[in-house]
Amino acid sequence: MANKIKIIIAAAILIVIIAGFFWLKSATKDNYISLGSSEAIDPTPTQIQAIKDIGEWEFLSVSAEEMVDTVRKGFFKDDELVRIYYGTLRLGIDMKQLAPDAITVNGDSLQMTLPKVGLLDKDFIDEAKTKSFYESGKWSNKDREALYQKAYRQMILHCLTKENLEAAQTNGEAQMQHMMQQLGYKNVTIRIEK
Amino acid sequence: MNRKRLILLACGIVLLLIIILLLTVRCEGNSKQEPAPTTLAQGIDTVPMLITQVQKCSKLYTAEYRVHKIITHDDALRLKGQLMSKAFDLKVPLADRKIAIPMDAKIKAYIDFSEFSEKNIERSGDKITIILPDPQIVMTSSKIDQKNMKQYVGLTRAHFSDEELASYQQQGREAIIKSIPDMGITETAQANAAKVLVPMMKQLGYEEQNITIAFRKQYSPQDWNALIKLND
Repeated sequence: MANKIKIIIAAAILIVIIAGFFWLKSATKDNYISLGSSEAIDPTPTQIQAIKDIGEWEFLSVSAEEMVDTVRKGFFKDDELVRIYYGTLRLGIDMKQLAPDAITVNGDSLQMTLPKVGLLDKDFIDEAKTKSFYESGKWSNKDREALYQKAYRQMILHCLTKENLEAAQTNGEAQMQHMMQQLGYKNVTIRIEK
Repeated sequence: MNRKRLILLACGIVLLLIIILLLTVRCEGNSKQEPAPTTLAQGIDTVPMLITQVQKCSKLYTAEYRVHKIITHDDALRLKGQLMSKAFDLKVPLADRKIAIPMDAKIKAYIDFSEFSEKNIERSGDKITIILPDPQIVMTSSKIDQKNMKQYVGLTRAHFSDEELASYQQQGREAIIKSIPDMGITETAQANAAKVLVPMMKQLGYEEQNITIAFRKQYSPQDWNALIKLND
């Protein structure tokens, strides 16, 4: 009799435990814990600081992608920072420098003297587009500024070449000639200052 | 003796169930954990690499906007979850990170003359009308003010990595591009196109009152996607 009671009690405890297990399982079905933070920037206004009238006629666009790095020698290992900068050098003429007597018309003949071809804007790197390629060690903002300046110098050196300036000039002459011909002038002579 | 065994058995079952229950609770770690630094440095070519693309064109830039933006990011570490159907969202103490990145950018509007033809010119006696192609807008440059960048990093957090900084700067760039339609740059570009072309037409012999510089149409907000060039 005593054994029977013990078995019944044990069975009852087991049933309660199993029921409790299933209840707990269903209650904790949607449980989760996550540790993290937002990746998005906060919404902030964009302010217009200046509006400028310009007259830059671009004849050659040189898009550059420059990978630059800096290495700091360490006792055990070297630290390194590698970034990829993007920029577009625009070559052409500044129409604001067009002389008042730059164009001479004689019937259907036209002679035009355009200002010198050069780099239209010294700000040509899109730094916000920069990609971080590799980083080891801790680097300061000063180091990043030095990398920007290095990329700037490299782009000038590689893109602002005599060949590219000549190509811009040749294309400028061709484009202006085409435009003047569309305006009805048959004999067009374009000269660009050197 | 039997009673002791029974109690031990029951305790064992309860322990087993607790272990199973704990295993079913999903724990998601911080997805932002930075990977451990690898030893790639040895394999990197330290010679600067340059890729260039040269393109002939005929674009007249008529308006330049200089814009300024302070990119901010509040990187508070939060413990989020749900336990027993109760949701919670707690800020982890001493784990704040904040950054403010001042940035300047140049946005320019241009008219592409590469397809300019007779169709763009209308003549009527001494009068001439030049119908210009649609103006296009492009961000020509941007500069991060590294000197005035400010950051605060909590005791338990790692410093902002270069990759994170680049990501915030790219997001700032996109935010500037999204705000272009509110700047009224096409109106300025249209007005300035006349300032460049009218003196040239005057030199060709036309009287100022006989010169009309026109655009195909007035641009509505629906046209913006076509006018803004994301990559030049």
